[in-house]
Parts: sequence; structure tokens; C-alpha cells
Amino acid sequence: MLCEKCQKEEASVHVTKIVNGHKTETHLCQHCAKELGEFGLSIDLPNLFASLFDYSPFGGKLAAPKQCPTCGSTMEDFRQLNQFGCSDCYVTFRDEVEPLLRRLHGSSHHEGKVPAQGYAALSAERQVKMLRERLQQMISLENYEEAAKIRDQIRALERQAHREGE
Amino acid sequence: MSKSWTKEEGPQGDICLGTRIRLARNLAKVPFPATANREQAKQVLKKGKELVESLNHLASVKYYELAEVDELERQVLMEKHLISPEHTKKTSNKGLILSENEDISIMVNEEDHFRIQVFLPGLQLKAAWELANRVDNLIEANVDYAFDPDIGYLTACPTNVGTGMRGSVMLHLPALARINQLENVLRSVSQFGLAVRGLYGEGSESYGSIYQISNQISLGHSETEMLEHLSRVAHQVISSERQARQYLQEQNRDENEDQIHRAYGLLTHARIISSREAMDLLSTVMLGIDLGILRDLDRGLVKKLMVEIRAAHLQKMMGQSLPAQERDRLRASLIRDRLSRQI
Repeated sequence: MLCEKCQKEEASVHVTKIVNGHKTETHLCQHCAKELGEFGLSIDLPNLFASLFDYSPFGGKLAAPKQCPTCGSTMEDFRQLNQFGCSDCYVTFRDEVEPLLRRLHGSSHHEGKVPAQGYAALSAERQVKMLRERLQQMISLENYEEAAKIRDQIRALERQAHREGE
Repeated sequence: MSKSWTKEEGPQGDICLGTRIRLARNLAKVPFPATANREQAKQVLKKGKELVESLNHLASVKYYELAEVDELERQVLMEKHLISPEHTKKTSNKGLILSENEDISIMVNEEDHFRIQVFLPGLQLKAAWELANRVDNLIEANVDYAFDPDIGYLTACPTNVGTGMRGSVMLHLPALARINQLENVLRSVSQFGLAVRGLYGEGSESYGSIYQISNQISLGHSETEMLEHLSRVAHQVISSERQARQYLQEQNRDENEDQIHRAYGLLTHARIISSREAMDLLSTVMLGIDLGILRDLDRGLVKKLMVEIRAAHLQKMMGQSLPAQERDRLRASLIRDRLSRQI
């Protein structure tokens, strides 16, 4: 079958569209399909990001554009550049960022490394969490000697966190 | 990759050519590089330069301002993966901290203020993470990082938020390619939430059956969990490649040996060769060495050639820029020279 558009190349892309219950079929060669944008492969990143945001269901953008007080960026800037202007944008646009992060990473909560300076309590909390997981592991392996050691480590960390909290 | 990458083999080194860990970090209260004004960018550079002293406790490092590094040298750094393509193009207010044996590189004012990279030969995700973590700790003692208790390290692009970490392994998969199983394997890798790329990162095609596999997400799991996941999948791919190699030897021996000897023949006799063709042939020759078919060749030399034949490396060797046709001649003669000295 020849491409319906150029009538030269062999059609290798077959597009079936159903719009309002009306079905159309188009047969195109790869070249024409790409040109007509019928090829699913030419996704560009800005559009992809834009589609990951919640737009209002009636098309228009929501309310007046918010601006980051530190760098002056707006969400529109982000949609164009795929980058935020500064780290404060994450605070300014928190409501927009959270769903985006969940879609990108499947989560919006950091579980990894924490800077030692200024985040001692959080760092201890992470450590305790990790140790508890290992404790469970050791118990299920019936390695009670190691489990007891880990339990003591957890207690020490908790006592320390408690003292610092006072 | 780095010097250590080409010099040593490392664990699983017959298939895993190298491991890289990258951490994206930014300074609190300073706009990201794309938005920062000149003053702010200079302030970040100055911070970067000051880091050298404390980093020297860990490894012997030097600071470079990219505007002062000539273009060819920048290209060479890029071909070794020590800096990104972006970092070679616009050079104003961009910096680089590089360790002497090239296992640590820190790009200053790339997409983020600091991009810490660690390179190790073979499959060594855990060791690479430990080294990157130590570098990060040393930097952190001197600067205030942009960090949010809920969403972690803050980066210019939200795809890197959280740990700011990307771990990648570079795998040589010629046997899977030969038995047409590569696509299957790589497709299943991507179903595990990992990304597959060619040799030079984002969007680059593969040369010489070399692929990078890396974690796609950076948030929601600890660094160790993400790297364990990556490591498990890498081990799976490596074991598929081993099976494919065995299959080639058992089921397809004559044809396989023919192709390997032909590749060697072309490399030792060609007068004009593109980097693409050379990479593909060197990959085949390396497979021949790994399978014990080409016995007298030094594997390290072939691995080193895979880097040396790249455009900027060749031009640096000649001390001048050369048109593509000249490079193709020079490349062919370099390969002939290196391989013939072997016998």
C-alpha cells in the first residue's frame, strides 16, 4: 500500500482515530507520518512536562500567575525551560511541584541522604529508620546477637535525639 | 571515561567497562546557573575554587576555569566523560575540579551549581557511591546546600530532585547484539524504571555495542536502595551477555570466529576509518579477546584505543585541529600501529 500523502513511499504507519464515534483510518509512510506528527515518537520535553501539570478542566490557566519572590520566575518560565530559577521556586510553587514529583518519581518524599549540618534531628530519624529495617531483617534471620546490637544503637540514637530536642 | 577506567579492569570488567555516580548539588539562596546573574555565577565559581583545599585531603585535585582551557582540551575532557557536552560549549563562568587520576570530577555552574562525578572501573556502584558521598561531605562542610526536609536536595530540573543522584554503568554487549537479543534485554531494563543510553548520555546513539544503564528516578528511595536496584539489573544484563557469548561459541562458532578475525583484519589493514566503524570493529575484537579467540592481543590496549580514536583525542595527539577526512586517515594509521606492535 502506498502512502496516502506522498503516494510514493510504502505506507508503514497506520493510524486509526476515533473522534466522537466516527472512525477514520490513515496510511502513511514513516516520513510523512513524522511530518504530520502522527508518529508517537517525536515527543518533546516541554510538552511532556506541560501535560504533567494539572490544568483547569476548561482550558484556561488558573488565576493570576504566581512569581517566585527570590528569582522572579513563574510556572510559565518553568514550562518553557523545564528548569526552575532557584531553590526557592520549590517553596513558591509547592502545590504545583508535589504532583509533578509524584508523576516523575512515583513519590514526593525524600528518603535519602540528609546534610549533617542543620539537619541533625532529621539525619538521626533516617538512621533510626534504616536500623529498624535491619533489625527486622536480623530477627527474621534469627540472628539475635546482631539484632540486640542494632537495638542498642537505635536506643542510643533516640536518647541523643531526645536530649538535643530539649 | 577516566584514566583509571582505561587502565584497570575492575569487577565484572570483561562486560562492565565502568561505573559512574553523579550528585547534583546547589547552594542555598543563589539562583541556579541558568538564572544567576554574572555576579552570582562568579560567587559560585569562587566557592568552587575554595573547595580545592579541603578536597585535597581526599585526593590530589586541581581547579580549572573552562574559559581558560582551550577548545580541543575541553573536547578531550568531554570524550573522557569528565565534563558534559553543555559544559564544553558555553564556557563563561564555568569551572571544573578534577582529581589527578581522573576518578573525581566536579563541574561548577553546569545545570546545577555543583555536579559531583565519580568514576571507577568495572561494576562498583557501592564503592563509587562511598567515594562520591565523601566528596559531598567535604563540600558540605564548606557551603550551605539547597535542601528541603521533604523533597531533599533541590536541583534546577525536578527530574533530579531528592538524592540528586544518578548512578550509571557502562556495559559492553556485543554478543547480545549479534544474536539480536539486545532490544529485548534493553526493553526489559527500561521496564524496571532504569534508562538505557548510548555512550555519550542523553539521546546519543550507541557505538561499539556500549550502553549506559542508569537510574531514572532520584526521589523516594535512599541512594543505597536505588543503587542496589541498578546493580541487580546490571548483574542480570551481564549474565544475559555471558549466556549470549556462550551461545555464540557453542552454536555459531565458525561464523563468530570468522567475524572476529575479519574485524581484526580490517583494523590492521584499513587506511581510512571513521570513528563509528572503528568502534564497532574494536568492540568485535574485544569480544574475540574475551572469548579467547584472539589470544595474543592486550585487552587494555584495545580498551584504550576505544578512547584514543575519538576526534578530539586524535587532534590533541597531532597538536592541531584536523578535517574529518584527515582524522579518518590518522585514526586508521594509529590503530594499525598500536595493533601491529602487539604481535
